[in-house]
Amino acid sequence: MSMAKDHEYNVQAGEPVGVVAAQSLGEPGTQMVLRTFHMTGVAATAIATSGLPRIIELLDAKKMPSSPLMRIRLKESYAKSFAKADEAAKKISEIKMSSVMRHIVENFSKGKILVVLNTQSLQAADLTARPIAARLGKELGVEAKVGEHGNIIVSTHTKNLKEVRAITVKITKAIVNGIEGAGRAMVVQDKNGDFYIESAGSNIEPVMQVEGVDPEKIYTNDLFSMYRVFGIEAARNTLALELRKTLEDQDISVNDRHISLIADAMTSGGTLQSIGRHGLVGKKESVFARAAFEETVKHLINAAAFGEVDHMRGVTENILVGKQIPLGTGSVKLVIKSKESKKK
Amino acid sequence: MQAEIIKQIKFGIFSQEQIKKLSVAKLTVPDTYNEDGYPIDGGLLDQRLGVIDPGLVCKTCGGRAKTCPGHFGHIELVRPVIHSEFAKIINMLLQATCQKCHRILLNNEQIGVFREEIAAEIATENPAPENNGEKHAEQDMLKRLKSVKKCPHCQTVQEKLKFSMPTYFYLGERRLKPDEIRDMLAKISDEDLVIIGVDPRTSRPEALILNTLLVPPVDVRPSITLETGERSEDDLTHKLVDIMRINQRLEQNINAGAPQIIIDDLWELLQYHVTTYFNNETSGIPPARHRSGRALKTIAQRLKGKEGRFRYNLSGKRVNYSARTVISVDPAIDVDEVGVPRAIAEKLTVPFYVTEWNLEAAKKLLEKAEYPMVVNIVGLDGKRKRILDTNKEDLLKEIKPGYILERQLQDGDIALFNRQPSLHRISIMAHRVKVLPGKTFRITYPATAPYNADFDGDEMNLHIPQTLEAQAEAKYLMAVQNQIFSPRDGNVIIANGEDGVIGLYLLTQDDTRLEKGEAECLLGAAGIREMPKAERDGTYSGKRVFSMLLPKGLDFEVEKFKIKNSELVEGVVNKKMYGSGGSNKLFAAMAMQCGLDALSEFLAMSSRLAYAYSTLYGVTIGVKDYMPTEEMRKEKEALITETEAKVRDLISQYKSKKLEPLLGMTLRQSLEQTIMVELDLARGKAIQMLNRDTDQANFAMLMATSGARANILNMEQMSMFLGQQASREGGRIKRGYYTNRVVPHIARNDTSAEARGFVKSSFLDGLSPIEMLMHAVGGRGTVIQKGLLTQRSGYLQRRLANALQDYYVLHDNSVRDVNNNVIETIYGGDGLDPTRVGFAKERKEKE
Repeated sequence: MSMAKDHEYNVQAGEPVGVVAAQSLGEPGTQMVLRTFHMTGVAATAIATSGLPRIIELLDAKKMPSSPLMRIRLKESYAKSFAKADEAAKKISEIKMSSVMRHIVENFSKGKILVVLNTQSLQAADLTARPIAARLGKELGVEAKVGEHGNIIVSTHTKNLKEVRAITVKITKAIVNGIEGAGRAMVVQDKNGDFYIESAGSNIEPVMQVEGVDPEKIYTNDLFSMYRVFGIEAARNTLALELRKTLEDQDISVNDRHISLIADAMTSGGTLQSIGRHGLVGKKESVFARAAFEETVKHLINAAAFGEVDHMRGVTENILVGKQIPLGTGSVKLVIKSKESKKK
Repeated sequence: MQAEIIKQIKFGIFSQEQIKKLSVAKLTVPDTYNEDGYPIDGGLLDQRLGVIDPGLVCKTCGGRAKTCPGHFGHIELVRPVIHSEFAKIINMLLQATCQKCHRILLNNEQIGVFREEIAAEIATENPAPENNGEKHAEQDMLKRLKSVKKCPHCQTVQEKLKFSMPTYFYLGERRLKPDEIRDMLAKISDEDLVIIGVDPRTSRPEALILNTLLVPPVDVRPSITLETGERSEDDLTHKLVDIMRINQRLEQNINAGAPQIIIDDLWELLQYHVTTYFNNETSGIPPARHRSGRALKTIAQRLKGKEGRFRYNLSGKRVNYSARTVISVDPAIDVDEVGVPRAIAEKLTVPFYVTEWNLEAAKKLLEKAEYPMVVNIVGLDGKRKRILDTNKEDLLKEIKPGYILERQLQDGDIALFNRQPSLHRISIMAHRVKVLPGKTFRITYPATAPYNADFDGDEMNLHIPQTLEAQAEAKYLMAVQNQIFSPRDGNVIIANGEDGVIGLYLLTQDDTRLEKGEAECLLGAAGIREMPKAERDGTYSGKRVFSMLLPKGLDFEVEKFKIKNSELVEGVVNKKMYGSGGSNKLFAAMAMQCGLDALSEFLAMSSRLAYAYSTLYGVTIGVKDYMPTEEMRKEKEALITETEAKVRDLISQYKSKKLEPLLGMTLRQSLEQTIMVELDLARGKAIQMLNRDTDQANFAMLMATSGARANILNMEQMSMFLGQQASREGGRIKRGYYTNRVVPHIARNDTSAEARGFVKSSFLDGLSPIEMLMHAVGGRGTVIQKGLLTQRSGYLQRRLANALQDYYVLHDNSVRDVNNNVIETIYGGDGLDPTRVGFAKERKEKE
């Protein structure tokens, strides 16, 4: 009796929980906002993909979210002081040459390139010409010096037109400060008064190396980074968390069990698989299930060429041929002892 | 009963021999009918392929149009052609094998490794998942074989093999003809094919080069006779005629010893026709067209896409025993009922299975000559007969156990009710039939929510389950009572609203007193025949009247709302605890303590009580409810003036660079942000004003506070001002006319509240032309968004359902797919049902 009570509110065996999860996420889709931008909260993270586009992006298991974000916790000593936290943030915050440069002049006959910097933006980014020159020299393998008026003079050691131009292009695209892809980083204070860093980009591997950063406490909304660095379980949790957050933002209540199931389904293969023809559906066992979804002809042709067998175990296949589906009340079979076996 | 159960389906390619064996006729005449309108022998509608004209008899099986299943024929092609759909696979096979000895381009050691892998796979209990198409581990290997320069078996250096869409193969510079390719494929050994992943028993690759073409029976490509008596052939027939014509010409030219160029050209043309016969959308070649210029629909087009065979005919099936009409509301029926028009009830039938125990009842039923009567009878042979006055007597004598009587639909029958789009499982629920006069289906207000239905012309479908199993499943799993809690979040979804809420809200106010007669009327309307205890002055309190509906043994308490022993002792019924949504905890408590049926009954009774009290009270609404008083109007004006001044001030601060930038924003963004906040604040203040100054008996206010319909914001927009209109970009409206203004009437660079979409008029006062435009901008944005959104979310829904449909819960609470792979070890981590999590919580609190 107590056993029965314990299980009173459990899901019933055979319940097609996958379909219910799919519907639970799909049905409120029309209630979601399509708008990509919304402005609330801390500025670095204010412009974020939200609503349906974000959900689609997550379920597509896109290689990089359209608005990446990192939350970087710092080691104790850094987390307590704004100055130290800011120091770490400066090392991370990505600044491109294009944003601090006024213009660039090439001297082809001498093989030199003059980079004129914008002092105002330099100041705003708390940068000076010297470290920029040093970084340019190191990364592009050229000789870069700070000339008069705080400009940078790059000597290319070549007079070949094409080569000089190639270097110019590289310079304009160069990153003068911080970590590539890390985006703009800012120091934020949490409820406990601890400082941490939020950044509108994602590239966690190099960020982990930055002094003061607690490498175990970096969060990014980029599923693949999470998968790569922390493993599939972390990716699963990130996926569930991001889905949950996005839905919450839209004031849509969806039971966590549905979100968990979707996250589990996408990661149970050990890798991140998308919901769609390139992921879960495209990798189904059944030829018919794949053919009935998308790329009908392709799947049938391949099946014929290789001599595939459809074992008629899934839902779609059975509907196609008019059989009962193996879920719900169709998941139970009746077994009767034949007269002969009774005798034995 | 399923006579034969399909256990598995194997795919393969018909070999030339198999085609000839399957074929009942070799077709030679590239034509259809002769002058007399009869099918030509050896033509494409040869009578051996089956018949579709009612008068004719099939020459193969002797059946008529209805009984003959159709038979395949074949065409012998004088020159082989490539099956274009398989060209990629042919390419793969050619790349993977030696051009001289035709062995797979792997050395013996590698072959050994793959053999072991395959053997291990077969040895596993469940070899299937890995045994399919793209999933082959070998596929990667095949790609690498392209770059093998020298055959490890015969040491022949491999020439470069080029494949060009759709059907051209080159070895070095030389074009490979189909017959050469056929020879190459035929020489690949069965053992090597297994390593590549091909099952040679059913899919010998040389069959991909066609020497004989299988011709589908006429049933697959029926011709239609137009009213003019003219025959119109199916697209496939047209295509087959083309193939046969060119085939014939090619043969004549070969026999006449025509020059090679001419033969090659015709051969090429034959290839084109066969290619388009399979897929008329093959890339790289122009589609074959009908005389009218319309592209022909050939085999691939028949299968593909939303309107193709798979999605249209196989995944979606049409049914009998169903009805569709407009829906309308009926507060008098129960929540789990559906009102069915008499005309429909007379048409739809329910089977009555005759057994030896109900034989007498069956006979009685059969005898009836009016409304709930038997329409058809199904005998032991499974043949359905219509019941007429002429055969009734005989049937009465004939009837015996095993017969099925098809009886007209009547009250109490189980029906499935559905509204499209069926976005979730509660878009289809089981109702009890209630036959009613009129022509529409009737449901109650609470039952509209799961269907997302309203009564502005919506139509819905009704299905009558035909077997006892189906009826039982519908009744016990799909009944409306069982769907009160949404599977999405476990919140109440079937609940009252509008008049249903406002009525009870007014009734359960602390000061509501009813005369005896009134109380009797109300309870009578709800369906209660007893009276509660009267107060000392002989009146009845509203709370007490309401309590009469509560099921026995209910205790419930939330903040400021208390039910003790089925008596409402404190609090007012409003949308929060009585309506849909997560805040309704009353229903979960009621369902737990008294059962779902009691809850459903309470829902129906309380709605009727609410409607009766709304009527008695005289709930009504008019323009006057939205009229602000003169003082409020003045205060509003002051508020707007003040807000505008603030915005102006902010702008001047921005211009003089005195504005404090917000963290991480440019000055410009900061300005926009602060203005938006300021304007929002103004609206908040206006709402406060309304709350403060509106008479509590104002029905517009009452509606919002009880949660019956609309919210205070709607009222604010009608009586005070509309406020800021949103643009699609998310911020204030700033574009429309060039130089960053919305209309030419606004000065350049004017960023004031008015210029950027702040509407200071109310709906009641009416908007100025510019304001109206601003409002329309916002409205248009919403419309565009809605269209986009439904499309995107519809596709998402389809993908999700297809990806997750095979997952279900096993007895051990683990989630499995149909191949028994574990997706979750325990569903949701605790195995709880989302619709009953609320119950579990409730019980925990009690303990």
